[in-house]
Amino acid sequence: MGYIAVKGGTDAIHNSQQLVEFYRLKDATTPLDIEQIRSQLRMAVDKVMGEGGMYAPEYAAIALKQSEGEVFEAAFILRAFRATLQRKYYSETLNTREMFIKRKISASFREIPGGQILGPTRDYTQRIIDTSKATENNEDIQKFLTEFRKGVDTEHLAEITTFAKVIDLLKNEGLLKPVDPNEDKTLADITREAIKFPAVRSARLQMMARAETGGLMALGYASMRGFGNVHPTVGELRYGPVPVRVKDASGRLRYIGKIEVTEAETISTGRTVKKKQPPSYTIGYGLCFGQNDTKAICMGILDTGMRSPDINSPANDQEFVLYHTEGIEAMGFTNHLKLPHYVTFQSDLKNLREAIKRSGKQKVEQPVSTE
Amino acid sequence: MHLQFHAMTDNDLPLNTTDMPDQDYVLVECDLQPLESLVTDLETNFEVVILKSPTLCMTMVKAEDSVEFQPFYLGEALTTECELLVNNTRGIGICLGDEPVRSYCIAFIDAYTQLHNANQNPVNDFLAHHSAKINQNAKIEHALILRTKVDFKLMEQD
Repeated sequence: MGYIAVKGGTDAIHNSQQLVEFYRLKDATTPLDIEQIRSQLRMAVDKVMGEGGMYAPEYAAIALKQSEGEVFEAAFILRAFRATLQRKYYSETLNTREMFIKRKISASFREIPGGQILGPTRDYTQRIIDTSKATENNEDIQKFLTEFRKGVDTEHLAEITTFAKVIDLLKNEGLLKPVDPNEDKTLADITREAIKFPAVRSARLQMMARAETGGLMALGYASMRGFGNVHPTVGELRYGPVPVRVKDASGRLRYIGKIEVTEAETISTGRTVKKKQPPSYTIGYGLCFGQNDTKAICMGILDTGMRSPDINSPANDQEFVLYHTEGIEAMGFTNHLKLPHYVTFQSDLKNLREAIKRSGKQKVEQPVSTE
Repeated sequence: MHLQFHAMTDNDLPLNTTDMPDQDYVLVECDLQPLESLVTDLETNFEVVILKSPTLCMTMVKAEDSVEFQPFYLGEALTTECELLVNNTRGIGICLGDEPVRSYCIAFIDAYTQLHNANQNPVNDFLAHHSAKINQNAKIEHALILRTKVDFKLMEQD
């Protein structure tokens, strides 16, 4: 029996929405400023944009405020908003080699082009709660900014440079697995055409780019622990803004702004299929909106995993990975369980009672609470 | 700003066909207030007709993996576009974000810089000044970032 919908309840639903607002506002605290959310909750904003599939920091901040900080809900709101707008442009292909580097590290090589730049990271910090944040005020912020900027000689600033990629070192030495000439290189768009399995690599990368970080991490971690076969080394992880260019109606190439992205190239030892083939490395690729190391790395792991299909390893199974890391659909389906299922459940209940009656067995005593 | 609305198709007018990333770069990255002031000053002597008022739309961002160069779509980016005529010369303004004023200003400057009889000095001065400012700010940020450069030593090393 399929799901039978219910009707009515409009007033209660409306009042419930109002109650949400009441609990958000009842303490009458200072309203959260969107600019504050955007700059001080940067990582949450990045996550919402990444999972909403839409780069719009200001709107992601609004969605976070509206959803009381619920990232799933905020991403859902952003993705719904995305669907209301006309797509007018397709950008030229992003060139991450043009990135204004804010962070660039490699776990594979100590010496990399331009050196290792930690950038903004909590990687080497102890996770000790900083209670001074509770009383932080504008004076503290100004004091920090002044102190932090001290020591920069503004008269003798270094020129900004772009850096070669770590992966090029392996590529130039011929250590990477040759590109499979039979692989389908079609550029798919999963927002226009539902994904079909087996999916082409462009569709897989697009789906992972807007997948939920926790979902990708769970499966990436599972693969590393043995429920898959990918345990890579990070060849390079870089984060920073990259320019976006489009062609306008007259055909001129126009710079329209920059978006921040995190990019990861993960290196795994490739499986040698043919005996005469020399061993090589395979590269997994991850790219996502904003600063999100975990997502980019896990995307790289799963990119590699899905190129070696294996239905016994969840992380190597395209359908398993792509459907179950799609956070908004997963959340939607999970939460539909809360909606009335009266008819389906009553039908099931009737069947169960009749089956027990037919079996002729006595009612089984159930434990009861003594309180 | 004086806005007139007028419907026109894409092919009605001749267009500047040169690429213009440098001008766009400064106009997209500079502070909004001085840009708005510049355009407000300039537009008083010209007839501005809006073909398309600033409108939100989406840009699908295309990317590619860095090893095999497999193209894929990364996601969409919120964009504002505006189209106008300045003394019958068409200008197009496009920028990321919800930026109605900036997209109008970019469109205006786009058209203005194609006018043969317009004094280009204020625009050139603006571009030069703000280009230097954007560059200086980026260099300062770069210097702050470079302070996190690290050279890890192996435990066996001194």
